[in-house]
Amino acid sequence: MGEAASQGVVARLISRAVQSVFVVFVAASLTFLLLQLAPGDPISAIADASNVPTEVRAQWRAQQGFDQPVATQYVRWIGNVARGQLGHSTSQQRPVRAVIADRLPNTLLLMGLALGASLLFGASLGAWQATRTGSAADRAVSFTSLVLYSVPEFWFALMLLFVFSYWIPVLPATGMIDVAMHGSMSSGARLWDRLRHLVLPWTALTVMGTAIFARYQRVAMRDALSEQFVRTARAKGLTTWSVYWHAFRTALLPTITLAGLFFPALLTGAVFVERVFGWPGMGSALLTAINSRDYALVSASVIVGSAMTALGSLFADVLRALADPRLRRV
Amino acid sequence: MVVVIPAEPRTLFPPRATGTQELAVVASVFDRLAEIGPELATVSDVGFSPRLAERWSWAADSLSIAFTINSNARWHDGVPVRAEDVRYTFNVYTSDAVASEARALLGNIDSVSVRDSLTAVVWFKRRTPQQFMEATYSMFILPSHLLSPLADSALVNAPFGRAPIGSGRFRFAAWDAGSRLEIVADTTNYRKRAVLDRVIWTFVADLGAATVKLFAGEADFLEQVRPEAITQVLATPALRLEGNLPLVYGFVGFNLHAPGATATPHPVFGDVRVRRALAMAVDRHRMVRSVLDSMGMVAFGPAPRALIPDTSGLRAIGYSVAAAKALLDSAQWVDTNNDGIREHDGTALAFDLLVPSSSATRGKFATLLQAAWKEIGANVSLLSQDPSALGPRLEAHDFDAYMGGWQANPGLQGTRQTWASKGTSNYQAYVSPTFDALLDSALTSFDMEKTRGLWTRVLQQAIDDAPSVWLYEQRLPVAVHKRLRIPSLRADGWYASLADWSVDPAQRIDRDKIGLGVAR
Repeated sequence: MGEAASQGVVARLISRAVQSVFVVFVAASLTFLLLQLAPGDPISAIADASNVPTEVRAQWRAQQGFDQPVATQYVRWIGNVARGQLGHSTSQQRPVRAVIADRLPNTLLLMGLALGASLLFGASLGAWQATRTGSAADRAVSFTSLVLYSVPEFWFALMLLFVFSYWIPVLPATGMIDVAMHGSMSSGARLWDRLRHLVLPWTALTVMGTAIFARYQRVAMRDALSEQFVRTARAKGLTTWSVYWHAFRTALLPTITLAGLFFPALLTGAVFVERVFGWPGMGSALLTAINSRDYALVSASVIVGSAMTALGSLFADVLRALADPRLRRV
Repeated sequence: MVVVIPAEPRTLFPPRATGTQELAVVASVFDRLAEIGPELATVSDVGFSPRLAERWSWAADSLSIAFTINSNARWHDGVPVRAEDVRYTFNVYTSDAVASEARALLGNIDSVSVRDSLTAVVWFKRRTPQQFMEATYSMFILPSHLLSPLADSALVNAPFGRAPIGSGRFRFAAWDAGSRLEIVADTTNYRKRAVLDRVIWTFVADLGAATVKLFAGEADFLEQVRPEAITQVLATPALRLEGNLPLVYGFVGFNLHAPGATATPHPVFGDVRVRRALAMAVDRHRMVRSVLDSMGMVAFGPAPRALIPDTSGLRAIGYSVAAAKALLDSAQWVDTNNDGIREHDGTALAFDLLVPSSSATRGKFATLLQAAWKEIGANVSLLSQDPSALGPRLEAHDFDAYMGGWQANPGLQGTRQTWASKGTSNYQAYVSPTFDALLDSALTSFDMEKTRGLWTRVLQQAIDDAPSVWLYEQRLPVAVHKRLRIPSLRADGWYASLADWSVDPAQRIDRDKIGLGVAR
């Protein structure tokens, strides 16, 4: 890559980074304001089921500043965010930063493994299908992936739970570890315990992700196989596998783009999967926060989510540029 | 023992602990001065047993009680418990900055003084039958040596709320956010160690998944068993159900004022005849059977039966559709245009019924009520509301009717808050000087026989005025692993005797054999 091309890529990345910051700011602001427009507030969400007297609720509101005008609350919140202070979670009674520090790694672990596996399995499966388009195997796989693509994640996760933890109890139902035994296990047993707990949520996310990637990769690979360069390659006498490899690389471009976009989507998928499997990640924390009208935590989650979207998109750009030399040109 | 619960506690700072999942841990880690008996008697100190206070003495005028702290009592960090801790606790619970929910129940306590290092004197503003309970039941004693260096405003969010140090028979061990919370037996406790080594709470938001966890043997105790899962629990050899009748009752409340306008009577519910007719049209026994089957009972009135001294004298508004129609006719609510809906002075007998979206039970009752009231010419629209949206509407009295539920506390002191004219949670704006006067007498009478009669009159007055139709009390059995031996569950909290629970030695499983684990 020449110097001019490198500078072009860097400039484009900087531009995308600036755009991303703007997108995160707008998304977070909109979330904050929409939450304020919804009826109720964090205090009414906390106290509804209990016998907390009205005057005590009023005191709690005043302590947290929820009795202030929305504009005042917004200015204070955005000022704090700009200084890196994400506020205090009303649903967990601790700093939002601590909640994210606890939860995000768990979600990233689950998501990262699921995304990696989905990409690997999906791209391979889609490419394999494309090489035998129209065959019985292709149709069967397409049908299965369509079904999996259409099934709600929540339902699929519950089915996995019932089948493998209840009917055929071979895997733990929920959580990241055996809450009673983990502390007394050996190092190897602890690792095994974590892996066992990872299987069901990882499977739920990976199976659905694989179905999606496979469908995209199949179409892209089929298109690639009908391109001129493939015919040329065949005419030059390249082996079938070499031809497929060239077509596969070309067909990866839309899949890489999808992977970038899929990265934040896995976070939303993780919301339901984490809930069902009691996985202590950002998704389950976000769901609790929404139910509790926890403004600070929901807004911070949106900041994390939109930052992940922007990063995913940026990452996809970089990967595409690496995969396709034409995209490196200014 | 592993307990699976749907929501993680918010805080373990006792003055701000409100939900069952918080109080279960707090009540195990902290002690009160004295503990209420299983009968939940609240008059004088009858039935109370010593906790941090090994004994107490009443002043001759009964306006103060001197509590003597057990000299062996220690905080879990080894520091002795002292009378100063009691004084400090009262100040925290009544602090504006802390804004404890329990503050409303401490209004009769004037102050707490320290006579000597082991004697705290609680001073009352006036003599009441329940003043002993006020001094003991509402406060878990806090360690002043750890908390007093902090400003009151910093207490609510202090790290103490996530790693508390108490004096109870269990000590706090660990809280892995989003995953588990563990307490272990305090082996040097002044009241002897808890029988169980460890109790671990694990959090699973999805109730279906929580139930699977129980059936899979990963958990030993589930408080919220779905009605449809009860048969399955009974059919599972490793599990059993334990009876649990919490102090909760459900009702449909009518707003006696026009929505949002407290000076104007409600066009429908402002007339007691209409309210009584609506009550008459409801076959509560059949409804409770339909919705809750054997897990429910018809509510008597604005108090759970476990706390009503005498239910035999109460006369409910009887079910009779014909009588309901006749009463509406006599109140001149008639269907003039033959559309099936009655009218009066141009106002249709129609109203919205708010239903919290979080409660399937209340939703089912609301549907049945809608059908029952349609039969007498009332058009009811059901509006499902998110609990966080429902609360502000109730506080602003901006509603027609709502499906409500209250959890009562021993002594029924909360009745003032929920049903008296000036009660801050009296969302129906029920105003009855007779009810208020009777309630006041019932809560202040020292004559037990007279108190029984007064409570009957209090409840009968509310039943006759019909600001609500009191629908049900729900049995909420808990599912427990069979190897656990537990005493009967106390109505105000299943966890009250947790330190006395044990595991049958012959049925111990791997997780029972770890001992005190990492906290040893």
